[in-house]
Amino acid sequence: MVCQARSLEDIQDSGHIIVAVYENYAPYSFQEDGNARGIDVEIAKAIADDLNVELQLLWLAPDETVEDDLRNAIWKGHIIHRTKADLMMRVPYDKAFSQLRDDVGLLVNELVHMFAPYQTESWAVMHSKERMPELTTMNYFAYHKVGAEIDSVPHFYLISSFGGRFKQNTTHYKSIEETVDTLVKGDIDAVMGLRSQMHYHSHKLGSEQYPIASMGFPQMAKQQWDIGMAVHTDFRALAYAIGDVITAMLNDQRLDAIFAQYHAPLQVPKYYSE
Amino acid sequence: MGNASCMTSSFLTIDEEKAMPTKTHMKSLALSMMLAFSAGSATAGVTDKDILADHKTNDDVVTNGMGLQAQRFSTLDYINKDTVDDVRVAWAFSLGGEKQKGQETQPMIKDGVMYISGSYSRVWAVDARTGKELWQYEARLPDGIMPCCDVINRGVALYDDLVIFGTLDAKLVALNKDTGKTVWKKTVESYKAGYAITAAPIIVDGKVITGVSGGEFGIVGAVRAYDAKTGNPVWERPTVEGHMGYVWNEGKKVEAGISGGAPGKTWPADLWKHGGAAPWLGGTYDPETNLLFFGTGNPAPWNSHLRPGDNYFSSSRLAINPDNGKIVWHFQTTPHDGWDYDGVNEVVSFNYRENGKTVRAAATADRNGFFYVLNRENGDFIRGFPFVDKITWATGLDEKTGRPIYVEDNRPGNPADSEDGKQGATVVAAPAFLGGKNWMPMAYSKNTGLFYVPTNEWEMDIWNQPTSYKKGAAYLGAGFTIKSIYEDHIGSLRAIDPKTGETVWRHNNFAPLWGGVLATAGGLVFTGNPEGYLMAFDDKTGEVVWEFQTGSGIVGSPVTWEMDGEQYLTVISGWGGAVPLWGGEVAKRVKHLNQGGTVWTFKLPQKYAKN
Repeated sequence: MVCQARSLEDIQDSGHIIVAVYENYAPYSFQEDGNARGIDVEIAKAIADDLNVELQLLWLAPDETVEDDLRNAIWKGHIIHRTKADLMMRVPYDKAFSQLRDDVGLLVNELVHMFAPYQTESWAVMHSKERMPELTTMNYFAYHKVGAEIDSVPHFYLISSFGGRFKQNTTHYKSIEETVDTLVKGDIDAVMGLRSQMHYHSHKLGSEQYPIASMGFPQMAKQQWDIGMAVHTDFRALAYAIGDVITAMLNDQRLDAIFAQYHAPLQVPKYYSE
Repeated sequence: MGNASCMTSSFLTIDEEKAMPTKTHMKSLALSMMLAFSAGSATAGVTDKDILADHKTNDDVVTNGMGLQAQRFSTLDYINKDTVDDVRVAWAFSLGGEKQKGQETQPMIKDGVMYISGSYSRVWAVDARTGKELWQYEARLPDGIMPCCDVINRGVALYDDLVIFGTLDAKLVALNKDTGKTVWKKTVESYKAGYAITAAPIIVDGKVITGVSGGEFGIVGAVRAYDAKTGNPVWERPTVEGHMGYVWNEGKKVEAGISGGAPGKTWPADLWKHGGAAPWLGGTYDPETNLLFFGTGNPAPWNSHLRPGDNYFSSSRLAINPDNGKIVWHFQTTPHDGWDYDGVNEVVSFNYRENGKTVRAAATADRNGFFYVLNRENGDFIRGFPFVDKITWATGLDEKTGRPIYVEDNRPGNPADSEDGKQGATVVAAPAFLGGKNWMPMAYSKNTGLFYVPTNEWEMDIWNQPTSYKKGAAYLGAGFTIKSIYEDHIGSLRAIDPKTGETVWRHNNFAPLWGGVLATAGGLVFTGNPEGYLMAFDDKTGEVVWEFQTGSGIVGSPVTWEMDGEQYLTVISGWGGAVPLWGGEVAKRVKHLNQGGTVWTFKLPQKYAKN
């Protein structure tokens, strides 16, 4: 595997593209029976197909923030062997984020170019129909137990919003999978997490028994945001080519099909209707 | 990736041509032959007695801290204010390769061999007379490691014929001191869960004792003891209230009491389950009270508004019984921390006379800017005082308990209050989270009764950052930038009187200080700076009496020892560590500094040798 982020020409000459995806992150990128699966993996496959190259995946262990992941995957490389990817999936498409500056006025993410939003993400709650037949407002968590992944916005939101009203009914777990398992065991009545993640698990468990609540999240600072991808800033031509692939996938419904495969609703970013 | 086995493995050999029959060479020849003859079965190993006596014996350095109490004081005085001008390089040794990152190790010396660790979990044995490499060990590090603050290592422990150190993937590895081959290896924690080890382990009574690093939310700090010869576990003590401790009884893991008695007393809801408090800098030991002293990191999550309470035992010093891991006393320097003031800094045991009585004291200079003098028998607060010019988060310490008197307005705001998703109000807090003093160990001179403390004057802007993301998901991160307070310096080496709190002298340094300190009976204090100078100070006046440019920044700790009737001095040079990782003005002060990785060893010319 080469260790450089590369130009479109170099990628096509070599016959393969290296795409960074997060490890163990269903339904976006994960391994099942030795096969790479997930929404991000399928989109990466489609990109490789359209560019006429072979797909090589770089599984990424998430660091503390996406800035760190961009450094590790795209511009500086892995901390030991300096491996880099040509493209990284699941990077926020957010002008404030791409233009984030440090205290001496330099762009924090100046070495990466973020582009091609392919999903608008938000939050959702999945609950046990049996123990919690009705869930329409946050106030139910004054009476029901709810779980969230540690160090996530849902976790902070549940223990701090409304003056800490739901703190005693909130428990946290190391992963969303562990949280979902606890729901199934019956120790908690609901799980709060990413909307596409909740839909994926709801379908897996049976959406009759574990439906997604239609409810709002008052006082939540960030209700939704767009997900796109990133390349090294030197390789804009690569970004344009991939951007064209995503637009084509939206137009010919391939993107819808991929999300449908994982039972996640595809909310198309506003970018395409503007 | 290099192979996990040692790169070169050679037994000690005599270089016939160099073994010229002069007086001193005869001496070293004799010693070398002694070493050579016993090489197969190995020379005498390091014993508990050697370790206990390390602060008194000049011919070896077998503890991190130059003695278990970590005073970093040597009774050697051949190099002194009069002779230091003549000090010159004996040899230099390059760690080589492309892996030239921060070098924070303290060398160890035993029987003419120096043992050092380096970046990326590597270890070397080097002939202490010539600088010739004897062997190198390189740990095979897995892909998934995420060390928070550079790929450093702070040193090895020696016991029997073993060289023991902790790796970035949270293992303890014991190597044969003559061959560098692995004798045993233990997984202390899972690197996949975010743990690492960077500190030097400590050996007490045949046990090797270590903490763990892991800055991320989700970990639980613990101190663990293993049989140094076999690596078998002896006890385990979590540093967060509510977690069960264990001892191993004839190989069987037995419950040994919950840390703090019960969960949730000083934490809300179930946040104690993953409370942080990593004891990442290792510990010191006091034989007089038979207590280990380990410091703990900040509590998790970083937003203190989510966890009202004191959050035991985060940002604390713990006195632990080395026989069973029981917490004997604790002293919390920053209860309910909201500024990332890890309480890990080393506890130095020292005795002083007051009102005709000997006080068994312990001193520690905290990240939070206060210097504490405690009764080391029971953890009682004796006195505390600021050791940096500017502290904004507290107006002082309670005279009786030592608890900080908070300035509540200086606590970083609650991100939950930022409803519209805009950046919240910025708080300017001093010291910055890297601390009035960070990991770099201070020294205590028995001659002057002063502590020589490497300090930094800096502050931080801290605010909640609503444009943060984690794994592609929106996240409430903290934004912070470190700023210097003065134009002309951040670093300041201070001579501090622990009885009065007075700073007797200070030497300012443009870049932040990040290396350890050594005091000697020669009336000298040694430390290095990021600009690359190893410096010697007059211990009474602070005058710089000698300096040497090592070619890269110094973030390691100097040691001194005696060999063949001569006093040697060694320091490792190699810029890195946490400072270059943070931006802003501080980055501007250090970004021109070059990386390196060289051990420099000095001595006086032959004429000063004592026979």
